[in-house]
Amino acid sequence: MVRLEGVHKRFGRLEVLQGIDLEVKRGEVVCVIGASGSGKSTLLRAINLLEPAEQGRVFLEGVEISGTKGLNDVRRRIGMVFQQFNLFPHKSVLENVTMAQRTVLDRPKQEAAERARSLLERVGLADKLEEYPDRLSGGQQQRVAIARALAMDPHVMLFDEVTSALDPELVKEVLDVMRELAREGMTMIVVTHEMGFAREVADRIVFMDEGLVVEQGPPAEVLDSPREERTKRFLGLVLEH
Amino acid sequence: MDAFLSQYFDLDIMWRSLPDVLSGFWVTIQLWLVASVLSLIWGLVLSLLRQLPGRAAAPIRALTIVYIDALRGIPLLLVVLLISGGLGALASEDVIADWIGLPRWFGKPDPFWYGVFAITLTYGAYMAEVYRSGIEAVPSGQMQAARSLGMSYAQAMRKVVVPQAVRKVFAPLLNDLTALMKDTSLVLVIGLAEVVSIGQDIQAETFNSSALVLGAILFLVVTIPLARIVDRQIAKQQIRYQRA
Ligand SMILES: Nc1ncnc2c1ncn2[C@@H]1O[C@H](COP(=O)(O)OP(=O)(O)O)[C@@H](O)[C@H]1O
Ligand SMILES: [Mg+2]
Repeated sequence: MVRLEGVHKRFGRLEVLQGIDLEVKRGEVVCVIGASGSGKSTLLRAINLLEPAEQGRVFLEGVEISGTKGLNDVRRRIGMVFQQFNLFPHKSVLENVTMAQRTVLDRPKQEAAERARSLLERVGLADKLEEYPDRLSGGQQQRVAIARALAMDPHVMLFDEVTSALDPELVKEVLDVMRELAREGMTMIVVTHEMGFAREVADRIVFMDEGLVVEQGPPAEVLDSPREERTKRFLGLVLEH
Repeated sequence: MDAFLSQYFDLDIMWRSLPDVLSGFWVTIQLWLVASVLSLIWGLVLSLLRQLPGRAAAPIRALTIVYIDALRGIPLLLVVLLISGGLGALASEDVIADWIGLPRWFGKPDPFWYGVFAITLTYGAYMAEVYRSGIEAVPSGQMQAARSLGMSYAQAMRKVVVPQAVRKVFAPLLNDLTALMKDTSLVLVIGLAEVVSIGQDIQAETFNSSALVLGAILFLVVTIPLARIVDRQIAKQQIRYQRA
């Protein structure tokens, strides 16, 4: 579904991705863990080419997308949800979910609104269609952001620490939506610090450090009996809390 | 004291000059409105050109910066003179067509349009910087979110970034429009009978400044409400700030 081969990315002198190889199969849920600054966000942005790698290749559904044109159509097949929600504050909830459907997919207004309604209902926000983002809680905003991404009928979803900016009591409502999505078979790459969620939902855990994939495998292996020293140290730090 | 009052506030002269002053003010208002709309558009175009992404657009960005710096650094009066003298001469030498060199569109005389051009060229440059500050104040996550949904750069600018930027710079833009209104009076140097030039003519005839004071009052009738709108807008934004 998604494949990265030797992806390098640098910002000035800092090499943030130092040769990433990663393959994610259709329907697979991969959780990416790692310390802050290890390159997890950059990895996600290299996948949907918001931050194109200067070396290496990225494939989507068997076709190379790095170094090609037509990125808008590629991006619309890769949904992305951000830590800071990034809802459009000047638009209502409904408009947030219909805007790209209308401009990118040329869906008729009626159809886009219907799709938005059904998605917002699915994430439990059917009663908030006309609200503006700043009137919503963080958890509600994040659920709108998920609906907004899903409205483009993506083939894979990227989640970048989507619960990190939330008050603890709001984390569950967002994770529940993601759990549901995973159960329905969505291909997902999830950067997260929620180890409980990762253990429960992930088919595979990828541990990153200093721009490299250090270790990967089923949750039970990576989380309970990591092979690498760096993984042990990281898990020691996170699981203490 | 009486001499002072009658020099500036001779009600009789004010009353008698009212029709002329009002007709001059109508010209001022028209000049203001047309130049405002065009400056707002031109300024936005400039700010977008200045921030075009990509290596290929580097020359366009550089040229735009040169233009903006140049027009912000030259007195508007000078631009007015360059435009009116220059375009008129070029048209009479048939270097450029009459419709642009001697514009008489919509029944307005050519000094009116020279004024519109000059003001738009200059205020477009000022407003480009205002828009730019607004665009830069929109968090980069907005562009990223729009692009991640498959929107093109142009779509993301049009639908997501610019609408938010314009809201952020509403107050400074209104300030520029107020300044623009006052600067319309510079066009009197090329013979446009706007409110200040009419007041000046009456002053020369009567040795009395009351018609000019009347003109000043008319300016204030427009500019003071604008200042209040700016205040209200700033207060509103502060409330929104505190909520966010
Ligand atoms: N646009 C950028 N410009 C410069 N440096 C960046 C940029 N984005 C990320 N970085 C740097 O790259 C490193 C990895 O960042 P990131 O991918 O966000 O890590 P993570 O998501 O794992 O915390 C950090 O040191 C960060 O400062
Ligand atoms: Mg990150």
